[in-house]
Amino acid sequence: MLHAVIAAATEEAAPNPLIPEIYDIIWSAVCFVVILFFFWKFALPKMQKLLDDRAEAIEGNIAKADDAQRKAEAALEQYTAQLVGARAEAGQIRDQARTDGQRIVAEHKEQASAEANRIAATAKTQIEAERQAAVVSLRSEVGTLAIDLASGVIGESLTDDAKASAIVDRFLAELEATELEATSNASTASTAGKN
Amino acid sequence: MLYSVVNPPPFVDARAELTAPKQEKALLETAVNLLVPSATGDGEFHGPSINEFFPDVIFFADTPFEINRIILIRFLSVAVLMLVFWLGTRRMKVIPTRMQSIAEMGLDFVRVNIAEDLLGKKDGRRFLPLLTTIFFMVLFMNVTGIIPFLNIAGTSVIGVPLLLGVISYGTFIYAGVKKSPAKFFRNSLFPPGVPPALYIIVTPIEFISTFLVRPVTLTLRLMMNMIVGHLLLVLFFSATHFFFFTADGGFKLFGAGTLVFGFAFTLFEVLIAVLQAYIFALLTAVYIQLALAEEH
Amino acid sequence: MDSTTVLAELTGNIATVGYGLAAIGPAIGVGIVVGKTIEGVARQPELAGRLQVLMYIGIAFTEALAFIGIATYFIFTN
Repeated sequence: MLHAVIAAATEEAAPNPLIPEIYDIIWSAVCFVVILFFFWKFALPKMQKLLDDRAEAIEGNIAKADDAQRKAEAALEQYTAQLVGARAEAGQIRDQARTDGQRIVAEHKEQASAEANRIAATAKTQIEAERQAAVVSLRSEVGTLAIDLASGVIGESLTDDAKASAIVDRFLAELEATELEATSNASTASTAGKN
Repeated sequence: MLYSVVNPPPFVDARAELTAPKQEKALLETAVNLLVPSATGDGEFHGPSINEFFPDVIFFADTPFEINRIILIRFLSVAVLMLVFWLGTRRMKVIPTRMQSIAEMGLDFVRVNIAEDLLGKKDGRRFLPLLTTIFFMVLFMNVTGIIPFLNIAGTSVIGVPLLLGVISYGTFIYAGVKKSPAKFFRNSLFPPGVPPALYIIVTPIEFISTFLVRPVTLTLRLMMNMIVGHLLLVLFFSATHFFFFTADGGFKLFGAGTLVFGFAFTLFEVLIAVLQAYIFALLTAVYIQLALAEEH
Repeated sequence: MDSTTVLAELTGNIATVGYGLAAIGPAIGVGIVVGKTIEGVARQPELAGRLQVLMYIGIAFTEALAFIGIATYFIFTN
């Protein structure tokens, strides 16, 4: 019954949905091409650009941070290097100063000892000269004094100069001889004690 | 008229005044008549029919460029799709506006979850325009099935599913052949690791499953989902109409039940619309991935 | 319209019954796919995203059989 009813109701056979109509395919293709073109040429490139921009922004920030870190590291390195340099320089300066000090001390010591020696030598020569002068003056004075004394003692003027001087000389020579012995002994003893 | 077959039953017919047992028979008939053009004309319930998917031609009749209601709905969904993404991607900024976020979310979903997840970064980018087009074309055309006053999915007529299925088919063959023709056909027809004698059985099966079943299932899955979804909704709402306005007595209560079911299935159709779009794009990506893989 | 005509109509729409039978297999299949996915996610929740994608692929392949079942009606009626 039903089939008869269907046949009566639908004069033309019921369309089969599995068989595509030409117009259906054509308009589907038009829709597809339009959408594909739209996405391919418009929406997706923009989207890609946006993603790239975003990635760039993030990478830019990272790069900036990296840069800052690199700078900080460089500064630290530089600082450390400077510190090491300064330390080395300080050490060098200290060493220099020490050696300089030692040199100066040595120099001064040498200078001082030289000076001392010189002063000692000058003093010695002066003393020697003075002694010599004293000896000379003493000899003449002692002679005169002795003759005066002697003339006083003998009560007669020893006018005969030749005689007088001969006596004095002989006496003095004797005296000198003994004195020389004594002084040479004394001087060796004194120099040994001084050194 | 939203549903071309949801005509109120003609009251002129004497048999419209049915008694309760006869009503039951009518219900049984309804269940039986689900997919049959049921222009019984005897004043009983009119179920939905396949003729719904072949509405009258509006423009360019008898040319290859006929336009009917469904084609117009397709044009509308294409226009809405392009409007949404044009607004969303018109002025893109690093910090998105609300409209841009929506467009971005959609494009990112396809890019990350389908293209890059299955194909990797490089191939993903190559096939991204196609996958994006398939996903959003199917999605926007599916959604029209539950929008009031449109009420039929653009994908429920075979044109779009068939076209997309063929494009998907062509794309994965192109991808495989471009990579390495010999390897592609050897891997798809003579899978490695099978004893040579078994190739007599395996090769025809592989040929059918790869080169025949794939495009056919892609097409049928989408189209049948949409057809059945539409028919179910029509069935529920026309039954509601029938129960409320034609049936008498306690049967009016059934109307409430069918209405609730219709509403639930409307929500279910939203899920189906998104899921089918996702699956269509996902399977295209899977087929491309299999074609690009070194060995299966 | 008595009961015999109703039965006659039943035989006329045998394709519907056929579809009901054809839907049994995919229904069980989809159930198994989803159930196993849930088991997998319960065991390793961190793989949920990956398993979900595989689940949808599995459902799609299984479900296709049901839709081929619907299609056979149109193939064999005309």
